[in-house]
Amino acid sequence: MALLEYALIGGILYGIFFSLVGIGLNLVFGVMRMINLAHGQFIMLGGFGAWLLVHELHLNPIFGIPLAVLGGILIGYPLYYGVVPRLQRSQDPEMLSFILFFGIAQMIEAVMLFIFGADQRSLPGEALGSGNIGVFGQEFPDSWWVAAAVSILCIGGLWLYFTRTRLGFATRAIMADRDEARATGIDVDRVSAIAFMIGLSLAGIAGVFVPYMVGSVSPSIGDSLTTTSFAIIIIGSLGNPLGTVVGGLVFGVGTMLMQTYYASWSNLVPYALLLVIVLIRPSGLLGKAVRSA
Amino acid sequence: MSSEPLLRLEGVSKRFGGLTVLDRQSFSVSAGEIVGLVGPNGSGKTTTINVISGVHQADAGRILFEGREIQRLKLFRIARLGINRSFQVPKCFRAMRVRENIEVAATFAGRGAVDIDEILAGIGLADQADAIAGALTVNQQKMLDLGRALATNPRLLLIDEIGAGLNPAELGGIAELLKSLAARGIALIVVEHLLDFLNRITDRVIVLGAGRMLFEGSLKAASQDPDVVAAFIGG
Amino acid sequence: MRYPAAVLAILAAMFLVLPHVYGNQSVLFTMMTFMALAQGLNLLYGFTGYLPFGYVGFFGTGAYATSLLVTFTGMPVLVCVLGGGLAAVVVGLILGPLLRLSGAYFSIANLAASQIIYYVVANEALKHVTGGPYGVKIEQVYAPTASYATMLAVLLLATGLAAYFRRSRFGLGLRAMHQDPISAGLAGVDIVRERLIVWLASAGIAGLAGGAYAWNLSVFYPDAVFTLQISVFAIVFALFGGVGTVIGPLLGAALLYAFYAVIGVSAPQYFELLYGLLIVLLVLFLPNGLMSLLIRRNVDVL
Repeated sequence: MALLEYALIGGILYGIFFSLVGIGLNLVFGVMRMINLAHGQFIMLGGFGAWLLVHELHLNPIFGIPLAVLGGILIGYPLYYGVVPRLQRSQDPEMLSFILFFGIAQMIEAVMLFIFGADQRSLPGEALGSGNIGVFGQEFPDSWWVAAAVSILCIGGLWLYFTRTRLGFATRAIMADRDEARATGIDVDRVSAIAFMIGLSLAGIAGVFVPYMVGSVSPSIGDSLTTTSFAIIIIGSLGNPLGTVVGGLVFGVGTMLMQTYYASWSNLVPYALLLVIVLIRPSGLLGKAVRSA
Repeated sequence: MSSEPLLRLEGVSKRFGGLTVLDRQSFSVSAGEIVGLVGPNGSGKTTTINVISGVHQADAGRILFEGREIQRLKLFRIARLGINRSFQVPKCFRAMRVRENIEVAATFAGRGAVDIDEILAGIGLADQADAIAGALTVNQQKMLDLGRALATNPRLLLIDEIGAGLNPAELGGIAELLKSLAARGIALIVVEHLLDFLNRITDRVIVLGAGRMLFEGSLKAASQDPDVVAAFIGG
Repeated sequence: MRYPAAVLAILAAMFLVLPHVYGNQSVLFTMMTFMALAQGLNLLYGFTGYLPFGYVGFFGTGAYATSLLVTFTGMPVLVCVLGGGLAAVVVGLILGPLLRLSGAYFSIANLAASQIIYYVVANEALKHVTGGPYGVKIEQVYAPTASYATMLAVLLLATGLAAYFRRSRFGLGLRAMHQDPISAGLAGVDIVRERLIVWLASAGIAGLAGGAYAWNLSVFYPDAVFTLQISVFAIVFALFGGVGTVIGPLLGAALLYAFYAVIGVSAPQYFELLYGLLIVLLVLFLPNGLMSLLIRRNVDVL
């Protein structure tokens, strides 16, 4: 019973964090109708940003959050205007952007491998609080609670952006119908570029906590984070960023249960979930996933 | 057998999400007949053609072609039985040459030999046979769409808004072409907004409103029917 | 290069003569492996538009099935390699429903499938069957020359299939389906069946290549035959040469792999960077690869 409680509460914390991991990918997809296959690599960059802060500047890893936002802007802005408008005019934007972001993912991974080597790097546990916090008698390290809290703040912030700001309204209009939004005078490229930068920033922020939640960060971690994110946002309804939370929780609790009871098979969870969901529910949640013929 | 119509719809319905676009439609079409399908936008004309041709599957009801149920058959099976169609927005094989577009259908439908040159001449594209389909004008692509359908030797042809954007001379040409097809025993269902054009080729029209059949009969009688008038003006 | 038979003959002659000229047979073998994989991936992506990110899953399946057959049955190795191809086809059949998915969904779901196969094969719990993370050893059948010839046969088979897809009635249906699946259906093309056949052919090629590769290595860890890098190479090579043609993927794989063999093996991360950049540039400036330069000038390429 204690084991089950541990798995459930841990799964909720883990799942809240993984909502943050997936949400940037979902935002970018919702706004741009492009799958950012380099999403996991951007998360990985956030993790290395935090690692550098801790080991080179001896700062608290929490400062990785503003650094991630800065990085999201500095990378997102030129990347958006450099490739996206051109892709959207091409014959098959969905597939070509997919392949292009794949190329970008390879480049990021290679550069990081080049600079940092293939080692797995972790962060000092005590930096985010050295104790444990217990709920219902189940104790988890402080860093897990911090990660979950930051995730809730970020997701809440995104919700406020969508519901309380003009840019957020415009963003939602574009998600609903890009052409219609353009017709009503919204500067689609500017709003999309901002959403892209927010998406990358959120990925980077998630990355700050990856060393705590996953154990370590290394240049090659990106692809599995991308696939996991994809599974999460598909469960939670693709294109609806806030639905990501549902996906995150399903993934988190599922993973924790597997780790508790069938540890050696737990890394199958995101992939199996993804396959099962795309095959069982190709319509409904996934209306856009199925070919018309 | 001779009294059996070529095509019969029995209570065919189609829903998209919560919206019923076709509501228990029933009608039949005989060989060599041209039937017009008219109604306001969103009344279910194109959906009717989509469920008959197998592009969409009906949610309820039966569709009988030569007495055989076809509502569960795949697109290519329906095509091989002899039902084909054109599209309002033409769907050619854009990267292929015009002749190849026709060849694909002639090869795969397996409904007997067809004379590709004759089809190309019939749709007015004999001179463009080696052009890339994507480079044709939209009107030419519509004709190529029709040619692709004809190359399957169809017994029932569904035509979706072929007249829009054509000048009177071109419309006259199409009217003659469709009538000559009917004279060969092909049944045609023609969705069209241009009533003059329909009047010239049809014996009978079916008027749809909000997925339901409002009227069946001559176009002239339709224009005096109160339901029809209400649907077009009030709908 | 209009005639399939000529392409096959040149390919066979090249790889039969080259070992006598150039000493490093393992480089030639790996080059053939990637040519076969690029061609196999081209069968699917070039002719149907489905990009299988998890293509390596079939390769790994073939490698493992072959090794397990060698270990547990003692059948002739060549039969075991065929068994590897068959195993990949069976996996393809099981994954057939993925073909209902469109574009990127297909690619990612396929990637997930290949990861599942990898995690199952490499799982500690299965170490008495697959060797788990400790890999497999079939050095008792190690035969570099015979496995080299087998890989050449796989390459020729893949290329023959590509030529068939490009020039046959079946291929005409594929081209139509690629451009407009609904119109192709209306033209009488059984699109579901054609797609499945191409998918299984593509899977089978990867499985056979995996089998021949396992035979040639004869000792390997699961990572060696399941690394995503294998999918990446196949995709980049095929895209670079030009998908949807017969010689494009061969040319792309030969050129880029030769480049890699000369400079890259010692510093693979430079190559990952270079390939990433190459993908980006190809998508932006030459989405149909080298062959499109010829096709644009109305050269009839196979």
